[in-house]
Amino acid sequence: MPVEIPVEKWNGQVHQVKLGGAGGRKELVVGGENTLPFLKFEGNIPHRPAVAIEVVDQPPQGWAEPLVKAWGNVLQDPAAWAKKAAEYGADLISLRLRSAHPEEGNTGADHARKVVAAVLAAVDLPVIVLGPEVAQKDNEVLVAASEVGRGQRLGLGDCLDKNYRTIGATCLADGHVAIAKTPIDMNLAKQLNILLSDLGLPLDAILMDPTTGALGYGLEYTYSVMERLRITALMGDKMTSPPMICTAGEESWRQKESKATAGVPQSWGEQEQRAILWEKITAIGLLNAGANVIVLRHPRTVEDVKAAINKLSA
Amino acid sequence: MSRFIATAAIRGARAIVDEADKLLTDAVQKLGPDTPVAFPNTTYFLPVIYGLTAHKVQKLSDLNWPLQHAKDLLPPVPRGNLWLPYLGETLDAGMATLYAEEIIEGVRWAKGEQPEVRNGYKLNGPIDDVQMRAWGIQMVDGRMPGFAAIIGAAKSNEVAVKIVRELQSKGQLVFLIGNNKGRSIIDQLLESGVELGYDTFTVTFGTDTVSAIYALGYATRAGISFGGFKAGDARANLLYNKFRCFAFALALGPVDDLKYATAAGAINYGFPVIADTAIPNILPTGVTKYEHVVSLPFDDIAGKDDLEKAERLVQRCIEIRGIKIKVAQIKIPVAYGPAFEGEVVRKENLRVEFGGKGGMAFEWLQTKNLDEVEDGKITVVGPELDDAPMGSKMPLAIMVDVAGRKMNKDFEPVLERQIHHFTNGAEGIQHMGQRDITWIRFSKSAVSKGFHIKNIGDILHAAFHNQFGAIVDKIQITLYTDPAKVKDLLEQARVVYQERNVRTANLTDEAVDTYYSCSLCQSFAPTHICVINPERVGLCGAYNWLDCRASYEINPRGPNQPVPKGAVVDASKGEWEGSNKFVYEHTNMAVQRMTLYSLMDAPMTTCGCCECVMVLLPETNGVMIVSRDDYGQTPSGMTFTSLMGTVGGGLQTPGMMGHGKFYILSKKFISKEGGIKRVVWLSKNLKEEMAEELKEVCEREGVPDLMDKIADGTICTTVEQLVPWLQEKGHPALAMDAILQ
Ligand code: SF4
Repeated sequence: MPVEIPVEKWNGQVHQVKLGGAGGRKELVVGGENTLPFLKFEGNIPHRPAVAIEVVDQPPQGWAEPLVKAWGNVLQDPAAWAKKAAEYGADLISLRLRSAHPEEGNTGADHARKVVAAVLAAVDLPVIVLGPEVAQKDNEVLVAASEVGRGQRLGLGDCLDKNYRTIGATCLADGHVAIAKTPIDMNLAKQLNILLSDLGLPLDAILMDPTTGALGYGLEYTYSVMERLRITALMGDKMTSPPMICTAGEESWRQKESKATAGVPQSWGEQEQRAILWEKITAIGLLNAGANVIVLRHPRTVEDVKAAINKLSA
Repeated sequence: MSRFIATAAIRGARAIVDEADKLLTDAVQKLGPDTPVAFPNTTYFLPVIYGLTAHKVQKLSDLNWPLQHAKDLLPPVPRGNLWLPYLGETLDAGMATLYAEEIIEGVRWAKGEQPEVRNGYKLNGPIDDVQMRAWGIQMVDGRMPGFAAIIGAAKSNEVAVKIVRELQSKGQLVFLIGNNKGRSIIDQLLESGVELGYDTFTVTFGTDTVSAIYALGYATRAGISFGGFKAGDARANLLYNKFRCFAFALALGPVDDLKYATAAGAINYGFPVIADTAIPNILPTGVTKYEHVVSLPFDDIAGKDDLEKAERLVQRCIEIRGIKIKVAQIKIPVAYGPAFEGEVVRKENLRVEFGGKGGMAFEWLQTKNLDEVEDGKITVVGPELDDAPMGSKMPLAIMVDVAGRKMNKDFEPVLERQIHHFTNGAEGIQHMGQRDITWIRFSKSAVSKGFHIKNIGDILHAAFHNQFGAIVDKIQITLYTDPAKVKDLLEQARVVYQERNVRTANLTDEAVDTYYSCSLCQSFAPTHICVINPERVGLCGAYNWLDCRASYEINPRGPNQPVPKGAVVDASKGEWEGSNKFVYEHTNMAVQRMTLYSLMDAPMTTCGCCECVMVLLPETNGVMIVSRDDYGQTPSGMTFTSLMGTVGGGLQTPGMMGHGKFYILSKKFISKEGGIKRVVWLSKNLKEEMAEELKEVCEREGVPDLMDKIADGTICTTVEQLVPWLQEKGHPALAMDAILQ
């Protein structure tokens, strides 16, 4: 019996956002689809979701053993780490300037300049630079990073409602893309896009980070906010139409299920496999919700998620 | 437009264009047409010419085109007998002046005459790109409000220093330009030992008026950089500066033709010019956001001495340009923050209290004219607390005067209510109530750290600036503790409270053409939207129409948006085309229409935070209302909590609806279904809490004894019990039209 596949006709479209593509950097375009994730029979999906690998500017504290083992020595050197990430198939690098955190090193603009320059020199992939998640310090190090990467169309974040003017203005001045992060709330996400647009930043210079909840820790909440954002965008609302980026690796590796080595039921199985699964399921869930860039930590997850994207996009 | 200014500006423009022409011709002859022309450390060429026309000047001969352009713009000097609107011509003359000035500076750089050296001191000249970016970001993100270009020389060195210090303290960037009969503000500051340079936000451009062009070059580059415009997009760049760059020029000393002409150039950027001498004003607000040219003769400014006059002069400049002040830190001797809001000061720890039982304390916020309020002035009239006995009561009147171009009398109660929230943030200070039921306690520990009555003023000044900066520009606070004075003021305040009550009562849905929305709850109830009209509060009870209107003024991109009513669909149900359209568009098209006065037909959606839920009880031909604070069973067979599970989450459920408790008192309370006469059961706590108001409403609705006929949880909790009880009492709902059609 022939089954008729119901096809929805959408008026809107996700904005296309370009990263890199200048100053010797490879070009990566995300977004542009006019249908829900992977529904190729329904609409046009010009670009597959991209996989970013997270790199931290100092040896990360409290990372689970499987991650430390997988990366080994490069954890000491962000440039080498980025290079390795490129070998593992990253489409882009997400560089976290953690050492600028007041309690984790409190480094400043000079350090940020050096690290960013080193990473930019080490790889030709597009790069996202993220601050230490303290608004004041974010501004300090991101403005410095922006200067170093001027014209290379980096991603800069987090751009929050608290500091959007600074980050937005910096992106405008140096031609970067703002990573606009809001706390799992559709209206706030939309509002931040509007505020950035008011500042003069075009919508194709914004990636929305809706804030990720890991599997078991609010994944469904993030999923539904992303779904609503995407459906609204497809219905024609420009202000919800920038592509989305999700930090699946960071969130899932934070959880007990990824970290616990002892004192858990035997049925949980061996840690490494469990943790990678956790990251993978979180990531694939978010891809299905509409993530255009997914940021991961473990090389094996990267491999598996890329394979999943290939299959889903075939 | 003043003919005097127009004439002077056009004369000035013609003279300077002529001078540029001569200078350029001479330089080309002597140095050759290919001599390089460049400002240092910039990629924007000569930035005004480049930014507004996209023409790149790299050598002397490249200056010919802008010179011709300037000449083409030059209007003729108005003849004495001819009256024209002048504004357009004056602005053109201004642009011509700017081009000419930039050409002159360009030639000077080519000849190696820049930056200027004065008495052995090397001036800065134009701002380099790196610094422009650093400051530009601060201007965009609001850390730096804008720049002040000071042109000329002040009355004395002291006045010069005072003006600059005042501007610095407001976070303004200060550009120093020009002279007055050979004396420059730069000389005055240097003689007084003032540190000048990028680090102190003071930039020396030059000691002639021509160097003012560097200020506009800075603004133009900022526009390209941060506005994201292409070079040559003059309109966008000028508009950007008008709305985003809070700059102004302050002309100290007599204004000559060239200064007028340069001022006319600045007006193109929306930068107003303030002169400390008597010149004609240009007040209409069109090209600049506010006034174009304002004269504030220095000697006429009120003030006990020149320094105070200088301070006021700066204050006026800030007002004229509409610059918003932020108070970075609240200067009080105790900690401040939301963590202290819920603190309770108990008897044992009480140092002094105001109001409460047997006391007298009140708060009164009033709108005043801008010139009646001195920003930051805090006065205590009467004794401070130092001599008050331990644990005693003092009378207190908190009088807050606010002024602002966007302030509206209707916002007074909205702002006044914030006093509670603001003062509570101080550690060791407890605030309750509002208006004349204010009750404030200072703890022993707060007072021992040095907290005084005056500090309430500090808190309010900072907090109002920071949170309501969009509508208030100036705030002054007077704290009266003198008993006779407090008593006298209290009587006046009560008259005003009463007037406000009347105004609120008269504020009907019919009287306005715009309602407001609230979408705060969409984060967890995606299809919920509150439409808030004057006669109906949001269902959480926290927002009324005035609150939403003020909130919209303060944060136009925020959760409260105007909802134009549009054409009436059905007046009795409270349904309009505009509100329907808004609701449809803002609920992700989930809710097609919404009535504001009906429970049975397309009622408002319900989220999780309503104060009450109303439920149809078909057997009684009426409705029951259960309050959030009532944990008991209800005749609907469900408690408040289980009802929320049914109706909450953004659903539109005819026959069930969440609402604020004050909605019960409204004339629009389910008026389609017959209003309060439909209520057959009401939570006991609401009956008690609102006894007086409910009584009045019943009288208003012509059913004075209705409250005796409405059941509650102490009477019955099932419909089976309720129906006979209502019959026995003769409840009017039983005889009304069938609620279920
Ligand atoms: S219930 Fe209150 S907070 Fe929620 S949307 Fe309505 S008015 Fe806003």
